Amino acid sequence: MKYFQPQSVREAVEIAQTSEAAFLAGGTDLVLFMQTGKIKPIALIDLGKIPQLKMIRETEGYLEIGSMATFAEMGNNELIYKQAHALWLACHTMGSPQIRNQATIGGNLGNCSPAADGLPPLLALGAEVHLVSGNGDEVIALESLLSRTPLLAQDTLIQGFRIPLKGFQSGFAKLGRRRALAIARLSVAVAIEVDGNLVTQVRVALGAVGRRAFLSEALNQDLSGQEINEAWIEKGVEQVQRIVREALGTRASAPYKRVAVSGVFREALDSFITEGGSNA
Amino acid sequence: MMDIKLMVNNKPYTLNIEPSERLLDVLRTRLGLMGTKEGCGEGECGACTVIVDGKTVNSCLVLAAQANGSEITTIEGVGNRRKPHPVQKAFVEVGAVQCGFCTPGMVLSAKNLLDKKSKPSDDEISVAMSGNLCRCTGYDKILRAVKLASQEGN
Repeated sequence: MKYFQPQSVREAVEIAQTSEAAFLAGGTDLVLFMQTGKIKPIALIDLGKIPQLKMIRETEGYLEIGSMATFAEMGNNELIYKQAHALWLACHTMGSPQIRNQATIGGNLGNCSPAADGLPPLLALGAEVHLVSGNGDEVIALESLLSRTPLLAQDTLIQGFRIPLKGFQSGFAKLGRRRALAIARLSVAVAIEVDGNLVTQVRVALGAVGRRAFLSEALNQDLSGQEINEAWIEKGVEQVQRIVREALGTRASAPYKRVAVSGVFREALDSFITEGGSNA
Repeated sequence: MMDIKLMVNNKPYTLNIEPSERLLDVLRTRLGLMGTKEGCGEGECGACTVIVDGKTVNSCLVLAAQANGSEITTIEGVGNRRKPHPVQKAFVEVGAVQCGFCTPGMVLSAKNLLDKKSKPSDDEISVAMSGNLCRCTGYDKILRAVKLASQEGN
């Protein structure tokens, strides 16, 4: 097996076009898949030496996150805490300290496990993905990208994500079998835009409910333009249960997740930060 | 094959390795540092924890090639029988070791925490140790040992 450690995005894409190589991000999934024989790459392109891919910064109305930012780096970042709180919360519950030090947000999307912890928050926050391939650059909404099969062509590199700074309040909660190291059985990210007493936009994304994380458009229609109160939360719970029921159909986990999601949804709402900066 | 440079426990090495070799295997079989244990081999148990450039990682999930140019600390670099690290002393004092298989990883997670924060809260200790599983003692004595080390370290 060949191993490349390019210094720039352009160099990485050039190698990918000529070598049938696979991109290596943090490796917490890929190294394991190689070890068990599930994936046998001809060559690897290690993205760990490209400084540009590690950047987290605010620019022109967006929060930009490079694909090689680790969960630990995002979880220690003040911008992410304030502007992308759901993602910040997910960074603190994903895996273990060791995994968070290694695993990256780009790798989370590239591997695209149904239970990927980073994706529901990014969906709820309206993130766009910046892709680079031999054909040039493409910026695409994450929810559109997640409807593609295959997700990415072999020579397409995930450069990073950008989250529009719309003043969303957001939260995240997940259900696992234990607090650390447990894969998500169910995760919910919620982002809302508020104008006075009214919720003007509601974005709810679910993870570990079906093949890939997804954003529910229907929930936005049902829940926006209303006042937030106990009745609104009850309505949200009902709707989110309906969505889980529809998404899971007759799967064995459906009766459990359909009920459990109401608690996870409430927890996600509870995890918002208030204006004072502390948890609500 | 490819050449990589590693600084392991303050000693420089240049190694000719297969790109598919895990850091865990390079440490154990090429450098003979058998203190790093392979438990589950899939990032669940933390027995293979080492410190790479100041961060704990599971060496079963890292390719040695990814660590090219890095500084690595294994349990052999933390302390020894004559001069144990405060965390190691505390583990012995409290009785936080039973079979001992998870202990090197536990000690490295604890050491890395205390290197960054000399007086961590109980919650911070729990989070820092959450990626290391122990199947015999339970966690009470382990967490107490880390607390003790944080009190005695200064």
